Amino acid sequence: MAKHLETARLMEQEPVAHQTYRMLLHSPAIAREARAGQFMMLQVRDGNDPLLRRPFSFHRIRSEAGAVEILYRVVGRGTWLMSRMEPGAALSLVGPLGNGFELPPAGVGPVFLVAGGIGIAPIEELAARLLEAADLSRDGSVHLFYGARTGPELLRSDRVSRPGLRIHWSTDDGSRGFRGNVIQCIEQVLGEEEGLRPARVYGCGPLAMQYRLALWALHRGVEAQLSLESLMACGFGACLGCALPAASPDDPTSERYLHVCKDGPIFPAGSIQWEKIRQQQIAPPIFRCV
Amino acid sequence: MGENTAAADRPADLSVRLGPLRLKNPVMVASGTFGYGREYEDFLDLGQLGAIVVKGISLTPRPGNPPPRIVETPAGMINAIGLENVGLQVFLESKLPYLSRRGIPAIVNIFGNTLDEYGELARRLDGQPGVAALEINISCPNVKQGGMVFGTDPAMAAEVVGKVRQATTLPLITKLTPNVTRIAEIARAAVDAGSDMLSCINTVAAMAVDIFSRRPKLANVIGGLSGPAVKPIALRCTYEVLQSVKCPVIGMGGIASAMDALEFLLLGASAVQIGTANFVDPAVAARVVEGIKRFLQVEGIPRVEEFIGSLDLQCTFPFAEESCRSLNLD
Repeated sequence: MAKHLETARLMEQEPVAHQTYRMLLHSPAIAREARAGQFMMLQVRDGNDPLLRRPFSFHRIRSEAGAVEILYRVVGRGTWLMSRMEPGAALSLVGPLGNGFELPPAGVGPVFLVAGGIGIAPIEELAARLLEAADLSRDGSVHLFYGARTGPELLRSDRVSRPGLRIHWSTDDGSRGFRGNVIQCIEQVLGEEEGLRPARVYGCGPLAMQYRLALWALHRGVEAQLSLESLMACGFGACLGCALPAASPDDPTSERYLHVCKDGPIFPAGSIQWEKIRQQQIAPPIFRCV
Repeated sequence: MGENTAAADRPADLSVRLGPLRLKNPVMVASGTFGYGREYEDFLDLGQLGAIVVKGISLTPRPGNPPPRIVETPAGMINAIGLENVGLQVFLESKLPYLSRRGIPAIVNIFGNTLDEYGELARRLDGQPGVAALEINISCPNVKQGGMVFGTDPAMAAEVVGKVRQATTLPLITKLTPNVTRIAEIARAAVDAGSDMLSCINTVAAMAVDIFSRRPKLANVIGGLSGPAVKPIALRCTYEVLQSVKCPVIGMGGIASAMDALEFLLLGASAVQIGTANFVDPAVAARVVEGIKRFLQVEGIPRVEEFIGSLDLQCTFPFAEESCRSLNLD
């Protein structure tokens, strides 16, 4: 469970969707201990610009190969610089960090995985882990609801498909799969398949999607674990920059914060004070291209 | 000649004396960038550090500011964490023992909203095992005086330091803010009121906005800039403070390498603190200690205290030394 500061070697880099890339990094110490839902801090390059590391969740963990995969979208200078790196490049990593997904106990199902856009990143590793548990995969009880604004932002189906996984595609503009957001897609599938009710939901995606998913799950009393993100300087509980308002059911007036890096990045839907986030309209994280 | 060779073979003596405080080396980690020490245990041997300045402590726990709390800027970051901390009691019960059991000198950064809170903190930390010194954060708003920051007024700064001085015999460090017109005045006021040492600088008041949302990038609107971007400001402040007081001064601001640290020592700072760089490279403090050691050895300086304050203020044209060396002329 130790955290490692490790120099990794970039083994593969490829574009996999619109402005989206996959990196395979040789990083044995981190790969050995990483779990689904955890993340690492990647230093884009030496020097002062950009200064801070960027957090990335594990897209795939290949312990036997001593390697990890990340999936990222180019949203600013740091990710743009990353997208231009060639295999062989050295990259400094700190990880594994954070708590990781809590897998459902054996026999618990069906499980809904919900991914919005680049939110597919940690969901892939989770899907792989879940489908290793034979009792879940047997009757196709692992569902992936995977949506984005437009079709080109989604990964190709051969990258996501795996035996036992039922995938429900959706796009806001209807260019691929169901037309609408992932929550509407879930409602549609639940309406079609009588008796289908998730025992557990796992989600990752833009804040607006997570907000709706959290309310949806809380309203139905379905246990939901959400992978949240934030700007952060360190990733291991020192800078306290990655605060999110915590729900305090006993005392709604209390002001308390959770930290994405050490209390998360995986949070039960009910642990976050979603209304406060919505009211304050906390800016969507990180950077935007001009 | 023979003596110099012998000196170069022996490891340099890095120990420094800061008034009542003796440290094994001049490299500390700055408050708010190193948690309570344990956060970094996987990355470096904490025993290698001169001291750890822990996250600022208040009498009662503080939740901190709403997010977003940080933003990255060119060669720096702006933070408005809001002094989130566990409060004195939890610190004494569950944070300090980790450091004291390992014999790591802990410097406790304290802050209050009133003079009495500062005094009470100092009284309750006095005599606690493992506490090597107190660092007084005077960059806090004085609640009773309408929120004016204690550290921006010489008289108010002196009152805070005096209150703490009365309450403890621990070595006192006053941490100065650069957000004043004349930092030397605040420095003198703090020393006259009983501060054994000064540390400078705290973060530089700063702001960032987003043209798309047309909103500030920090919920608190204004925050404190740190990182390599502030190093030249920090060097200037440290220089001015050193000129105005006789007591030991601890330099900080943008230190990310042994070379950065040595620049502050050259000015006359008796020790340094590493801040934001800890976030980027959690093992940087150990590398800085090793780098200073190597530099002294290569330069044939047996003791770091001989290097401290050895700046020659007469500026020369750069051709002399450097080009001679590269041409192998010396």
